[in-house]
Amino acid sequence: MNFSRMTALSSRIIRQIFRDKRTLVLIFIVPVVIMTLLYLVLTNTNSTHTLAIVPPSGRGSDRINSLITNLLPGKDKLNVLYINADQVNDTLTKGNADAAIIFPPDFTQQVFSGQNPSVQIVLEGSDPNVANAMHDLTESFTHQLGVALSALKAQQAQAGQGQALPPVLGGPLPFTVSDPQYLHGGPQYTFNDSIAPVFIAIFSFFFVFILTSIAFLRERSQGTIERVMASPMTRTELVIGYILGFMLFALVQSIMILLFVIYALRVHYSGNLALIFLITVLLTIGCINLGIFLSAFAQNEFQIVQFIPLVFGVQIFLSGVFWPIDQLPAILRPISYILPLTYANEALRAVMLKGADLADITRELIALFIFMVLMIILSALTMRRQIA
Amino acid sequence: MTKTIPGTPKRRELQKPANGEPMVVVNQLVKQFGKLRAIDNLTLNINAGETFGLIGPNGSGKTTLIRMLVGLILPTSGTIHVMNERMPSHKVASYIGYMTQLSALYLDLTARENMQFFCNVYGLRGKEQNKRIMEMLERVDLADRVNDVVGKFSGGMKQRLSLACALVHHPSIALLDEPTVGVDPELRRTFWDYFAQLNKDGVTIIVSTHQLDEASRCSRLGLMRNGELLAQDSPLELLRQSGQNDMEEAFLYYASREEVQK
Repeated sequence: MNFSRMTALSSRIIRQIFRDKRTLVLIFIVPVVIMTLLYLVLTNTNSTHTLAIVPPSGRGSDRINSLITNLLPGKDKLNVLYINADQVNDTLTKGNADAAIIFPPDFTQQVFSGQNPSVQIVLEGSDPNVANAMHDLTESFTHQLGVALSALKAQQAQAGQGQALPPVLGGPLPFTVSDPQYLHGGPQYTFNDSIAPVFIAIFSFFFVFILTSIAFLRERSQGTIERVMASPMTRTELVIGYILGFMLFALVQSIMILLFVIYALRVHYSGNLALIFLITVLLTIGCINLGIFLSAFAQNEFQIVQFIPLVFGVQIFLSGVFWPIDQLPAILRPISYILPLTYANEALRAVMLKGADLADITRELIALFIFMVLMIILSALTMRRQIA
Repeated sequence: MTKTIPGTPKRRELQKPANGEPMVVVNQLVKQFGKLRAIDNLTLNINAGETFGLIGPNGSGKTTLIRMLVGLILPTSGTIHVMNERMPSHKVASYIGYMTQLSALYLDLTARENMQFFCNVYGLRGKEQNKRIMEMLERVDLADRVNDVVGKFSGGMKQRLSLACALVHHPSIALLDEPTVGVDPELRRTFWDYFAQLNKDGVTIIVSTHQLDEASRCSRLGLMRNGELLAQDSPLELLRQSGQNDMEEAFLYYASREEVQK
C-alpha cells in the first residue's frame, strides 16, 4: 500500500467537494435547517396548557389557596381549573386539563401539625411533549409551594412562641410529592431529546451514501476509474482513499450537528465525544462502501436516486428514529435488527442521553463493525464489475 | 537502461527494452464476452520505440485489445507480456500511459488539478511535477487554460488534456485509444510529430484510430476486424502486398482475403 497515492486520491475528493458549493451547503447547512424545522414542529411551545387543581378544603385552607394562586404562573402561560377529587379522571380524559395536582382535603392541618401530607400529581401523558412540560411545571410549582409553606410555618412558630426560628432553605419540605401518575404513556425523555442523537447518524448516513455513490458513478461514467485502475493504484488504495476523503466531511458534519443539538436546541447531553466519533467512523466507512457497492448497479445519477427510498426510507421508519423499535409490529422488528442505523441510533442515544461508556454499547459497536466489514467485502467484490 | 529523462518517477524496477526489442508480446489471445468473441486468437508483436497503429471499424476489438494490454481485462485464454511481465501485472502499471476513448477527466477540477492528480498517482511530485505539467500543457496548446475548470472545455480541448495526462509521467509505453478524435488537423499533425519524437526517445506508442490517413504515420499497422488481426506490417508493405494505392482499399482487400480463407 502506498500512502501518498491514497492521499492524492483523498485530497482530490476533498478538493472536488470544496469546489462544489452546492454540495457543501447540502452537507453543512441542510442538516441545520432540517433540525430546526423539526424542532419547531415537535415542540409546540406556543399553546397554553391547563392545570387542574384539587385544592385543600379543610379548616384554614383559604390562606394556602391564595398562596397557591399567587405561586402559579400567569394566565397567559397557564390555565387553571379548580375541581373536586372525584372529577380528576374525567377532566383529564376529556382533555379539559393536561395535568392535575391533588391536595388532600386536610392538607393545611397536616402541614401545620407536621404530619408531612402527600400531594399527588396526575399527568394526562398522551403527548410526551405536553406531559413533559406539565411535569416540569408541577415540579417547580410544588417546590416553590413547599419553600413558601416552610417560611410560613417558621413565621407562625415565631409568632406563637416569641422566639426566632429562621426558615430553613433547602431543608425538607413540609409535604411530599408522590411520583406522578400517568393516565397514558409514561415518563420518558422528550421527543426532542430522544430524536436529537439520531440526527448525527441519519445525516452522515444519507449524505455520505449519496456523495460516494455519485462520485463513484461519475468516476465510472467519465472513464476516470479506468485511468486510475490502469495506474499503479491498487483497489485497496482506491477504497481507503475514498474513505479518508469522505471521512473528513462526515466527522466535521457530526461535530457541527452535535454542537447545534447541544447549544442551539439545548438538548440534554452527557456524552463522550470519542465514542460518538467511533460510532460515526464505523457507520461512515460502512456507508462509503455501501455507496461504492450500489453504484455498480446504477447507470446514471437518476438510478442512484432510485436507491434512496430503498436504502434510506426503510431505515428512517424502522430504525427507531421516530418510534421505538419495541413498539413496532412484531413482523417488522426482525427487519429493524438488520438495519445499521438501528444500532447507530441506539448507541448514539445511549452515549448522548445516558452517558453510556464503551462497555454499555459494545453490542451496538459490534453490529456496526459487522455492517462495515460486510460492506467492504461487497464493495471489493463489485470493484471488478466497476471497471470491466 | 536508456538515459534518465528528468521528471521520470523514481523507484522504477523493470528493465526497459532497447529500441527494436520486443515490448509487447501477445500470443493466441482470446476474449469471450458471453456469446461475443471480442478478441479471436490474436497473435501480435510490438517492438520498443515504434508506433503501432490499430486500424479497424467500430466494434472490431481495438478498445478491448488496448484494455487487455493495459491489464484492465483478463484474457479468456492466451497470454500478454509487456516488458517481459505477464499481464495483468502491477509492476508494469507505472510504465504505462493510458488514454481512454472517453476523455476521462475530472470535470469539476481545473486542467492543472487533473494533471496534478495523475502525477501524484504515478509518483511524480514536487518541482519536477510542475515543470512537467506546464511542458505537457504547452505541447497540447492548453498552457493558457491551466487554471480553467475542465467542465467548460470543448471536446477537442478535453481530448488534448487527456493526452497530456496520459503522457505526463514519462511512460515507456503509451496506449492511446483514438487520441485524435475531435482534434483539428493542424494540432493533429503536431501530435503525430510528437509521437515520432517520443519514439526516438524510446517510447513505444500503440494507437488506435479509424482515420486511415493517420495510418501512414505509424511504423507498423495491425488491421483488425471482428476481433481478428487481418494483417500486421508497415504501411508501405501492406499497400505493396495488397497491390492497392490507399489504405482504405488495402483494408478491404485484406478483409475479403480473410473471407475467402474461411
